[in-house]
Amino acid sequence: MAKIEVKDLRVSFGALPVTTGVNLSIPDRSITALMGPSGSGKSTILRVLNRLIELYPEAKVSGEVYLDGQNIFDMNVLELRRKVQMIFQIPNPIPNLSVFENVALGLKLNRLVRGRRELFERVKSALEKAQLWDEVKDRLGAPAGKLSGGQQQRLCVARALAFEPEVLLADEPTANLDPENTAKVEALFLELKKEMSIVLVTHYPPQAARISDYAAFLYKGQIVEWGPTRDVFTKPRHELTEKYVTGRLY
Amino acid sequence: MTAKSHDRVQVVDAERQLINWLGLGLFAFLGVVAVVPLFLIISDVYIKGIDAINSLGGLWVFLTELPPTPYDESGGIGPMLVGTLYMTALGALLGIAVGFPLGVYIGEMRKEKFANVARAGVNVLVEFPTIVVGLFVYAVMSLAKEDLNRYMLGPLSNAISSLGEWTPRFIGPLDNVISLLGEWIPWFIGPLDGFNAYAGAVALTLIMIPYVALITASAYASVEQPLREAAYATAGREFNALFVVLRKAVSRAVLTAALLGTAKIAGETAPLLFTAFGNFYYAPFTGPTGAVPLWIWYAAQTPYDVQIVSAYGAAAVLLTIILTIFIIARIRG
Repeated sequence: MAKIEVKDLRVSFGALPVTTGVNLSIPDRSITALMGPSGSGKSTILRVLNRLIELYPEAKVSGEVYLDGQNIFDMNVLELRRKVQMIFQIPNPIPNLSVFENVALGLKLNRLVRGRRELFERVKSALEKAQLWDEVKDRLGAPAGKLSGGQQQRLCVARALAFEPEVLLADEPTANLDPENTAKVEALFLELKKEMSIVLVTHYPPQAARISDYAAFLYKGQIVEWGPTRDVFTKPRHELTEKYVTGRLY
Repeated sequence: MTAKSHDRVQVVDAERQLINWLGLGLFAFLGVVAVVPLFLIISDVYIKGIDAINSLGGLWVFLTELPPTPYDESGGIGPMLVGTLYMTALGALLGIAVGFPLGVYIGEMRKEKFANVARAGVNVLVEFPTIVVGLFVYAVMSLAKEDLNRYMLGPLSNAISSLGEWTPRFIGPLDNVISLLGEWIPWFIGPLDGFNAYAGAVALTLIMIPYVALITASAYASVEQPLREAAYATAGREFNALFVVLRKAVSRAVLTAALLGTAKIAGETAPLLFTAFGNFYYAPFTGPTGAVPLWIWYAAQTPYDVQIVSAYGAAAVLLTIILTIFIIARIRG
């Protein structure tokens, strides 16, 4: 059964329609890539899945989204965001906070832990899962801004993982990273998908080909093609898809 | 490149450099115009002020003693300094307590219609003539004083003053503490006069609020969207996202605003004229209260040399307070 089911999702910003009727089902314990040119609505769909779209007062959303069969618009938004965590295009650790505090803050504010010992364990395990622990264990008190770009991005992954989420949304998480750090993050995702469902937005088709299990191609607010990644890349059914995955449409 | 065109390049370069120097020179001159008065004021105040403090009996006497009467040879600004510190601290605390959340509201809740009204109001208030603020607080105080005293502060102060006649009930220091409280609390709480330190503090608060609110609002508005999304995704409740996570991101700007606002109200004279009124003696804050700027204003226009001299000393003290806050703001901000 699908982890997330999107039905006829329509989002518009003011008078400008961004997605016009998107249907999508996202399987559990796998990586689903949303790819498409800029402005195709990938990031917007992602922001609906954890309802961060509500931060944009001009956005109007209609349609249904189910997480494990439960309509997310009926869920408590705090509970939804605990289960559906997100990483962003620009590494965005909270400034003026230490490495440790960046991961711990969400746990503390949501009262998910009891006591310092449990907090430390949760932070440690999140940093380990994000494959950052060995690099930062001696400087947990250092400001997060002192880390390199790649480390900051993995710190943001750790911050998301600290919630022990069921779904991880990633909005072009490697767009600002060099190839080495990109490879690290991709390897990390392949490890993480064993425990959760990952939705990866990318405008770089080779990345989708490398790590995703399912791929959806979006164009002008609609899903042109959706299926197992291998099929989408090797036997595209639609001309637009073929153009896109071969780098002739952007 | 031929020799001829090479020469041409050199000529153009020389011309450009000359214009560059002239331009830089002009800007440097404008910089000097801005800075010279500042240094003249500071040096004048400190040269005359330090002399004044020495001639009136030294720093400690000046900071603690009552102001000199026309026939005294020594004296200070003790009561005024205490009044300024008390009213500034109170005004700054209230100003931050109201101004910071207000700034978050008008900076972050732009979808709320009323937030725009509040923003416009704050923009007007920040440029308001401070003497009008003082006059307004004076009017409100005159209206509210009677009822406030009869129903709240009177009974309260009766209860408190009975602590002064505390019959020892406990063994040991607790009794001493209670009777000491009974003596000290009336300096702070009691029926209000028409002029009092709290009216002064409220006037200063009203000046501080828009200042802190506007800087807070622009600091929050300048937070990048990715960070705002991270804050909401991480914090859970909106309150935590705004007041815990994003506050960390803007804390420097807000701290600077708070410090500069404090420096601003510490030197204000006009809003205190009708509210604190001024006092030459150590007196309860529930009645007329002195302030350093008020004393400078009063003393500088008397015909008595000793008081004019003490105004210079007071100016030096006031400037020291304000410059100290400025320097802290520079270092921390």
